[in-house]
Amino acid sequence: MKLLQKTIRGYLLYSIFTLVVAIPVFYFTIQNVLRHQADEELLSTKESLKARLEAEFEKAGLHEIKFLDSGIRILPAANEFKDSLFTINEYDSAEEEMIPYRVIRSNIHLNGHPYLLTRKISLLENDDLIKTILNVQVTLLILLLAGLFIINRRLSIRIWKPFYRTLEKLKKFNVEKDSRLGLAKSGINEFDDLNHSLEGFAERTHQAFVSQKEFAENASHELQTPLAIMQGKLELLMQTPNLSEEQANLIDELADAGRRMSHLNKNLILLTKIENNQFHELEKISLRSVIENFTDTLYLPAIEQKLIELNKDFQEDILLTGNRSLIEIFTGNLLGNAIRYNPVKGKINISMRANMLIIANTGQTQPLDPGKIFNRFQKEGTNSDSLGLGLEIARKIAGLYAAELSYECKNGLHRFITVFPTADLFVK
Amino acid sequence: MKILIIEDEKELSKSMIAYLQRENYHCDLAENFPEGRCRLESFDYDCILLDISLPDGNGLQLLREIKENGKLDGLIIISAKNSVDDRIAGLNLGADDYLAKPFHLSELTARVAAVVRRKRFQGNTVLVFNELTVDLIAKTILVDNKVVELTRKEFDLLLYLVSNKNRVVSKNAIAESLSGDAIQLHDSFDFLYAHMKNLKKKLAAAGCTDYIKSIYGMGYKFAA
Repeated sequence: MKLLQKTIRGYLLYSIFTLVVAIPVFYFTIQNVLRHQADEELLSTKESLKARLEAEFEKAGLHEIKFLDSGIRILPAANEFKDSLFTINEYDSAEEEMIPYRVIRSNIHLNGHPYLLTRKISLLENDDLIKTILNVQVTLLILLLAGLFIINRRLSIRIWKPFYRTLEKLKKFNVEKDSRLGLAKSGINEFDDLNHSLEGFAERTHQAFVSQKEFAENASHELQTPLAIMQGKLELLMQTPNLSEEQANLIDELADAGRRMSHLNKNLILLTKIENNQFHELEKISLRSVIENFTDTLYLPAIEQKLIELNKDFQEDILLTGNRSLIEIFTGNLLGNAIRYNPVKGKINISMRANMLIIANTGQTQPLDPGKIFNRFQKEGTNSDSLGLGLEIARKIAGLYAAELSYECKNGLHRFITVFPTADLFVK
Repeated sequence: MKILIIEDEKELSKSMIAYLQRENYHCDLAENFPEGRCRLESFDYDCILLDISLPDGNGLQLLREIKENGKLDGLIIISAKNSVDDRIAGLNLGADDYLAKPFHLSELTARVAAVVRRKRFQGNTVLVFNELTVDLIAKTILVDNKVVELTRKEFDLLLYLVSNKNRVVSKNAIAESLSGDAIQLHDSFDFLYAHMKNLKKKLAAAGCTDYIKSIYGMGYKFAA
């Protein structure tokens, strides 16, 4: 939920609550007041009415009494009772609706006989009045709340604007490229404080990133020379006359360690270069031809040697714009893994359709951990030759071109799926 | 034949000199650019090995000077950078080859031999070893003047061994030279052994002496 929605929702809830509670309360209060007023009137006019009725009675008798209004009725009564006030609804044929009346019932003695006097006054006007007042009130209340609501919203938007600007900058911040966030002053102390702290964080993060990158870069470059020296000395050692078999084996093992070290180093340098975006030469590349170059030439000896069954299902070729070396490294790494971790007489399925490349291979029965395999130096199994950088490199290259590389294990096959962006593939 | 090595890493240059001297190259060493420039002004070399990442200046600048002076020396760049841009810049300036650190001395020797052959024996691109003749242009070999059909890999393998004759060449160096980066794929050197087996079989069938000897599984040696 957005910040503005959250605050405004509070207002809205309060407004609805107020309206729902206030309107009935208001209605009943007014109604009470008006009824009270009607009662007062009935009570206060009761005695004078009685006096006039008695006078009229003496003059003309009950049937001749000219009623002052139609609401007065006199009926003979058996016994005496107290005055009472109540409300009734009666159908009015003129108005064609039920009309509420306030009624007073009282004793009256006419000529020594007790009579029941009822007098009613219509509450219709009162009801209309209440309705009108209520309408005005509700309209006012709604207008007031709506106004408050709108003003508040506007104000919130204005107040939070610097916050949203900061948020936008943060989203766009690229730790690899930007050393600063470039936040403007907002004029609100809290936000200025926030921006200031964020600037500090951004700068430190960038610096940490740069120095980490420089370290990896320098370390791997600096390693090249000692590695060259070691390799050279080993080769010279190999030339020494009368080497025993034992010595030769030791030299061989050293040379092998050296080879692994230098491959590792080459891959680290490659990673740094990808991170530094140092591959600028772009060209249109047919992924199919790259794959076939590997399967038909470069990796053919390895495939044949392991007696691997290779199935190719190329429904469509994927055409990319990218750096040829990187695309070759990308496919080479994925195919290389498919070969390396395959048992003898295993299977590799390569399929390409629409914008998807799937390389599936048989291998260990256990699925790999998809969360870990793309991390640096994750080894698969106990194969000492695995350098643990191949998949990370592949993923970095995919990322460089907005493609997505993922892993799943299905039907005993380890599947590496690359989804390339559909629109204008691999343009960078 | 004279070679100038411009390299500041003492241990590395020592190894290079030791290895190349056995190949009957006379090696001079310059540890920095002024020294290198000075030597280049006074002597002619068959091949220059130039480390372009010396601390005292840009190696590409020195390369430019060498080429501007119209020297015909063969030149191989040695670099710790191994970037494509670097390689292209160097080759565009007239370097004959580019070798990235860390390299195998046998690889260096093969490259130096190739450069020297190109510079010194223009046209004469045939290596002869007793009954075995390697034609570098046609990329064929002849045993007793009869052509032996080899695959490209087998030819490269033989040429590599011949370029390092009388030396123990490590399996690593051969495998790397044959397959470039694809080598890291192979769990073993089986693919090298396969090529080697085929090569030896074909040579034996053509009546060639078995010059290629395995040295305790550590490497191979091409020797009489």
